[in-house]
Amino acid sequence: MSSKLITEIFTPFQDHINEEQEIREEIRQIMKSIEKPLREIITVLQVIHQDHKLEELHQACIKGREIFEEVRIGFEKLDKIVPAGQYYRYHDHWKYVMQRLCFLAALIIYLEKGILIDKLTAAQILGIHEKSNLKFDLEDYLMGLLNLSTELSRFAVNSVTYKDYDRPLQISKFVAELNAGFRLLNLKNDSLRKRFDAMKYDVKKIEEVVYDLSIRGLAAKNSEEPVEK
Amino acid sequence: MHKNKGSKYRNKSKPAVGDKARETLENIDDNNPVIQLFKGYAAELDDKHDRYERIVKLSRDCTIESKRIIFLLHNVNTDIESKRVTVLNEAQERLNALINTHFKSIALELKGHDSYLYTRAYTSGVQEFIEAYTFYQFILSENIGDWKSFDALFKYSDEENGEFSLLFTQNDYILGLGDLTGELMRRCINTLGVGNTSECFKLCNYVKAINTGFIGLIAPGNKELGRKAYTLRQSLSKMELVCYNIQIRGQEIPKHMLMSVIESSDVKDDDDEGYY
Repeated sequence: MSSKLITEIFTPFQDHINEEQEIREEIRQIMKSIEKPLREIITVLQVIHQDHKLEELHQACIKGREIFEEVRIGFEKLDKIVPAGQYYRYHDHWKYVMQRLCFLAALIIYLEKGILIDKLTAAQILGIHEKSNLKFDLEDYLMGLLNLSTELSRFAVNSVTYKDYDRPLQISKFVAELNAGFRLLNLKNDSLRKRFDAMKYDVKKIEEVVYDLSIRGLAAKNSEEPVEK
Repeated sequence: MHKNKGSKYRNKSKPAVGDKARETLENIDDNNPVIQLFKGYAAELDDKHDRYERIVKLSRDCTIESKRIIFLLHNVNTDIESKRVTVLNEAQERLNALINTHFKSIALELKGHDSYLYTRAYTSGVQEFIEAYTFYQFILSENIGDWKSFDALFKYSDEENGEFSLLFTQNDYILGLGDLTGELMRRCINTLGVGNTSECFKLCNYVKAINTGFIGLIAPGNKELGRKAYTLRQSLSKMELVCYNIQIRGQEIPKHMLMSVIESSDVKDDDDEGYY
């Protein structure tokens, strides 16, 4: 009886576990190849916090977009490994990486055009749109946007240091709109909710910068239309 | 780049912190592209959360009904053949009803969606169901079906929806099996109460076999499996103690008095999950 139980029930289960482990191992290898360009893009875009000229920002965006090509190659490979209909079974392996990448794509789009990236554009930059087995989870995308707001609050502070007094005003408007957008969502008491709750500190920091600029009349200098008189 | 178009000049002498954000918020209308974008996202997110909650509810109903069936099955400790048959038939009917109602509803909710996103919502219902079903099978024939035989139960087809199935993971099956051992332990002690000692040995041996299976598994990172294996070992040691007592004292005292002896030797069924 004992041996029958083992052969009929536990052996197939062990085989099942082993198969899953093999897939996980392959996924881990591919994710390593994606994390490398991820780090590089982060490094390249750090230029926004240093004494920048517009030209340098522009260059950083171009460079970032170039490195994204490696990311897309990685996801192309991943798409072939993930079994059909089992995206969320292995979701944990790439969840955080996708969130970070989404943040970077959003930052590039913001720097280039000053607008909020939509989910489709983000998926296209990451190379996970119209894939057979990969997709872009909405919550991962939103998480990326929340990371963007934190980065922009730092950007606002550093812009002032480098005498770009116009930038914080733009950022303020951008983040306020983003915040208003998030308020439309019914968030559950999950990680996204917690992350969103932290957004108010970003908003606050940016507003303090804007306040500091406006009481000194600095905000008006570079802007065509003065905000306060 | 965004300029501060349409900014209202408020009659305030001094600016305050948060002015800029407030101003932006005041100027946002429904046609704002960001707002438009998020309205779509909100709908998508709500759909996911609502579906998840509906599945959780269905799963909870499955758990309750499964526990009731298990309770019913514990009454099969009788020698009266007709009563035994009645109880088993009722259990069978109710188990089938669960497959065709609640689990079918879950399967319908998941149709066209990535089931793995929602497995956490119904894993406990499925596990409890497997526990009930295998318990029924064991009482009926002293044997339990393998994963494939159960997976086949969750395949549906009807005219309206065509063919569809409920994602039933092997993991849930094994975890349900782990829960089964708790019921077998309870049954072991109950049968001892009516003096059926041979049944005790049989149950104990079966749980030993399942334990062997659990010990042999190599499953890194599966915490829940580890917890089940731990509970399993506790149940088993209780049963082993029962068998030991039957063997060593069974010759000294009448069978119907064994129960009190064993109760006094600290075999207590105290981690009852409770019945509904």
